[in-house]
Order: sequence, then C-alpha cells, then structure tokens
Amino acid sequence: MSFIVAFMWSFVLWLVLTAGSKGMLWSMEEIVAGIIFAFVIGFSTRNIVGERAKRFLNPIRLVSFLVYAIGPLFWGMVKANLDVAYRVVTGKIKPGIVKVPVDLENEAQYTILSNSITLTPGTLTIDACPEENALYVHWIHVTEEEPESSELVAGSFEKWARRLGK
Amino acid sequence: MNSQNNDMGLIVKTMARVTIPLIGIFGAYVVAHGHLTPGGGFQGGATVAGAGVLFLIAFGLSETKNRINKTLYSALEGIGGLVFLAMGMLGFGVVFFYNTLWREGPVFNGEPGSLLSAGYLPIMNLAVGLKVYTGLVSALFAIALFRRWKK
Repeated sequence: MSFIVAFMWSFVLWLVLTAGSKGMLWSMEEIVAGIIFAFVIGFSTRNIVGERAKRFLNPIRLVSFLVYAIGPLFWGMVKANLDVAYRVVTGKIKPGIVKVPVDLENEAQYTILSNSITLTPGTLTIDACPEENALYVHWIHVTEEEPESSELVAGSFEKWARRLGK
Repeated sequence: MNSQNNDMGLIVKTMARVTIPLIGIFGAYVVAHGHLTPGGGFQGGATVAGAGVLFLIAFGLSETKNRINKTLYSALEGIGGLVFLAMGMLGFGVVFFYNTLWREGPVFNGEPGSLLSAGYLPIMNLAVGLKVYTGLVSALFAIALFRRWKK
C-alpha cells in the first residue's frame, strides 16, 4: 500500500519534469519510462515513506493543502515580513526561546506546524518534542514567556496543522 | 559517541520521508535524459546518491545497517560497469564503440530529441548512473561505519 504512495508521488514529479515532450502534453515513451522509473523508485522507497502516508493521497486533503499554502500561510508570511522589517528599522527586539505547548498527535502535524512557524519570519522552531507535547521556538519579540497555547506564536497554524496531518 | 542514538529529530526525519522519493526520481530523470538535457550518468547517479546520504544522515547508522545490503550494492556496481562494456562491444563487428543501435538497431533510433534516440547513449547513461549511485552510497556508508574516533 505504501508502495502506491511512493509511486504516485514520484510519478507526478516525473510528469511535471517531462511536460512538453509532445506539444504541451507528454509523449508515450516519456510516460512509459516514467512508469518504469517511478516503479523502481517507489519500490525502493516504499518503507521510507511509511504505511500511514497513504492518507495524503486523499484529494480533499491535497486541495486543503493548496488552500492553506495560498491562504493563511501566505498571508501570515506577508504580515510577519512587514513586522520584521519594522523591527529591523526600529531595533525594538526582545529575543528569547519559549516553550510552546501544542496539542498534536503525529509526526506530520508536528512537521507542518514547525515548518510554518519557521517560514514566518520572527519565529524559528528549534526543537519539536512530541513526548512533552511542546515546540521550542526562538522568538524575536517575546511578549509572553510561558504561553498557554500556540495562538500568540503561530496564529491559526496549529488548527490547520491538526486538520492537514490528521 | 552513542551508536544507538545517532539519528536526527522528528522534523528532519519526516521531511526526509517526503523528499527521498523526489530526489530519487529527479536523479532518474537526469540520468534518463542524459542525451537530451544537461546532466547524464554521473550527475544523475550522484543526485540519487544524495538521497541515500540523506537517508543515512536522517535515520542514523543502525537503521541504515538494516536496509543496505552490501552484496547487492557490490553486484549492482559490477553490473553497471558490465552493461557499459556490453554496449561498447555491441558493434564490435565494425569497431569498438561503434553505435550500431543508432545506425541499424531495432530500438533507440527515433527522431533526434526524443527519449528513445541516440543509440546506446541512454543505456550507457543508465549503467553509469547505477554504478555511480551504488559506488558512492557504499563508499559513504563504509566511511560512516568506520569504528570510532579515537584508538
């Protein structure tokens, strides 16, 4: 089952790379070669992507990834970049490392949330500790030293991460 | 150094799970289009070996030890070299490295610019890619297995 995930994942990248071999589309030989190579790659990486990765083949989840990337994540990055530009000009910083408690279950959720936090400037995930249910975040302007939730650091990202990685 | 716990954290591991198939297929793309686009056997093979090194670093030595079969890698490297030699011998009736597949072969003689063209070049690229991948991965794995820092 996890073979299919690795196969699809690599075959889609092959199609993206070879698009345009016949007009705007793909010639037959490129598709056949893609199937062969994606088969080899999928077979050799089937244990690496893991059995639970098949939930990411769900089209609804893929659409919500897209919505998340161009909606909340992009908007959060715009806001945070402007905030950091303000802090560069005025020099009003108060850096520190805070422990942010989060309510997440699996690795994918931790990864999505940590990467979102790191992508928005001003905050940087240093470590994710699933056994403590916490992230350690380096924050450019600490407003609360022991936050109760990730709302102050990450906004709505935790809700999205919980939904996307479920 | 504690040999039981030499892998990376959770985020690196999860991202490695996502990116290793992508690096692998990109390396395969570079190898397979060696006669059409920049790159070729060595570049593509080194790219795929990068995925192997990512696995070694992200998941640690003990996990890699369970996955890498020394005999298989050694055999595949030999096969890569042999296939390259076989392609060179294919047109031996005329001269060594005579591209007989391109001149009068049954396959790999398509329109120049398509995937199945250029005679023996795609097969040679695949052979070199296989050889470079297995060679680099086994060399780096052997270095990582080197016993300890001090005597």
